[in-house]
Amino acid sequence: MTRQGPLITLGSVLLLTVVFLLANTQAAKPGSTVAAPTAAASAVPPATTAPLHALYAGRSSGDQVTVAIAVNGRKVAADLNAGQASEVSLQGSVNGGKFTLTSQNGPGLTGSISGQDMFGTVTGFLGQSFPFSAAQAVVQAVYTGRSSGNQVTLAVDTQGDEAAAYICNGKTIEAWLQGSVHGNQVSLTGNKGASLTGSLSGLDMFGTVTAGAGLSFPFSAELSPRPAGVYQARIAVNGLATRIGWAVLPDGTQVGVAVAGTTKYPAPSLDLSNNSFTLDGSSFTAAPVAGRDTVVSP
Amino acid sequence: MTSEPVAAYPARDQYARPLLVALLSGCGVALLLGLYAKLHHPTKYALDVGGFSSPLYAKAWLTTAAAVFAIVQLITGARITRQAAPAWMATVHRWSGRIAILLTVPVIIHCIYALGFGTYSARVIAHSVLGCIFYGAFVTKMLCLVRRDAMPKWVFPVMGGVVFVSLIALWATSALWLFATKGVHS
Repeated sequence: MTRQGPLITLGSVLLLTVVFLLANTQAAKPGSTVAAPTAAASAVPPATTAPLHALYAGRSSGDQVTVAIAVNGRKVAADLNAGQASEVSLQGSVNGGKFTLTSQNGPGLTGSISGQDMFGTVTGFLGQSFPFSAAQAVVQAVYTGRSSGNQVTLAVDTQGDEAAAYICNGKTIEAWLQGSVHGNQVSLTGNKGASLTGSLSGLDMFGTVTAGAGLSFPFSAELSPRPAGVYQARIAVNGLATRIGWAVLPDGTQVGVAVAGTTKYPAPSLDLSNNSFTLDGSSFTAAPVAGRDTVVSP
Repeated sequence: MTSEPVAAYPARDQYARPLLVALLSGCGVALLLGLYAKLHHPTKYALDVGGFSSPLYAKAWLTTAAAVFAIVQLITGARITRQAAPAWMATVHRWSGRIAILLTVPVIIHCIYALGFGTYSARVIAHSVLGCIFYGAFVTKMLCLVRRDAMPKWVFPVMGGVVFVSLIALWATSALWLFATKGVHS
């Protein structure tokens, strides 16, 4: 004899399970595409300490809240925005790779660094908790300056943790440099012993630059707005492959050297309105160099 | 090939197959739940029952309610087969069981969908394993009841005991732990 009662009980449990599961997949669908905070923490993270200065931008797994986090040393500020005038500012600190932020009226944020990403949870915002992930925003910044004895002018372009630089005296000394930014440490190298080591302090960069043998100078540079930057042109002049570099200061002052084989001469004047210049009767265009560009051939 | 009639053990063939089906189905359910909970990427977020301070407390109180009904199950289940048992006792047993199991459904969905099969502490491992055992045993018991006449008498006390003990252990490793560490409130 087969009895129906237990089957009905089993069926109703199964039905309720399916209903709940479907409701959850509908409600939490965006969350499934974002790595969960603790799952990421249990994996082997590539880097777990926060950079000295960085911006992180992201959103909650369910797309309800946008999260923007600015790191400045050990201090951290964040902005939560859920639209409809629901915006909250938070302040806090970073310890190693762990972020803890609070606000006066309740909402809090905790997060941890995993490589270029941050994972965490927003708590007590609109009466709910939201897991979120945010990616480190790549910020491009130009530092320009001179050596302390005004022997050379330099321009360093940083893009995230990569950097490219040009140093020259406008006549015979010039070097291209390539390197990286780790925390507040800047380190670049070039051909024939050229190098630059420096540290970032606020809006300034201090260090030592070496353009070649016996040409080592202390320098200071500062964060500079456009048109400051590194500019480059690779052209053929009279059949000679010529590379021209310019270090441009924020006031428009430009110092550059053209190199054709073993011959070096002052670079032509660069029209900063359209990056064009004229050499030997022909018109050419230079290009601004970003930190990620390759300026030193391996 | 004709089989030899085994006159001495007529009951064995009589219930062997339905019992085996019920037991294997229960094992399959327990295994599937465990595999899904382990392999499904936990969302950390799931729908929950309103009116509580957090999803954790909603789950704790639902489990507590289920545990209370489970005690009703134990009391009625122990007397249900006696000759002197009143007719309402079977009804109470059935309905308290149905309510108890339905109360656990939102909880288990939250557990396996949002959290998954946890292994980060002894309590969590025990809870995860017990959760799988509980639903496996429940399915086995229901399937045994479908063919009640074909089952040996000991099946129901044993399966009922497994379901009861695993549910109380589930409650102890989750709700009791929460109440003890975070306090008893809604």
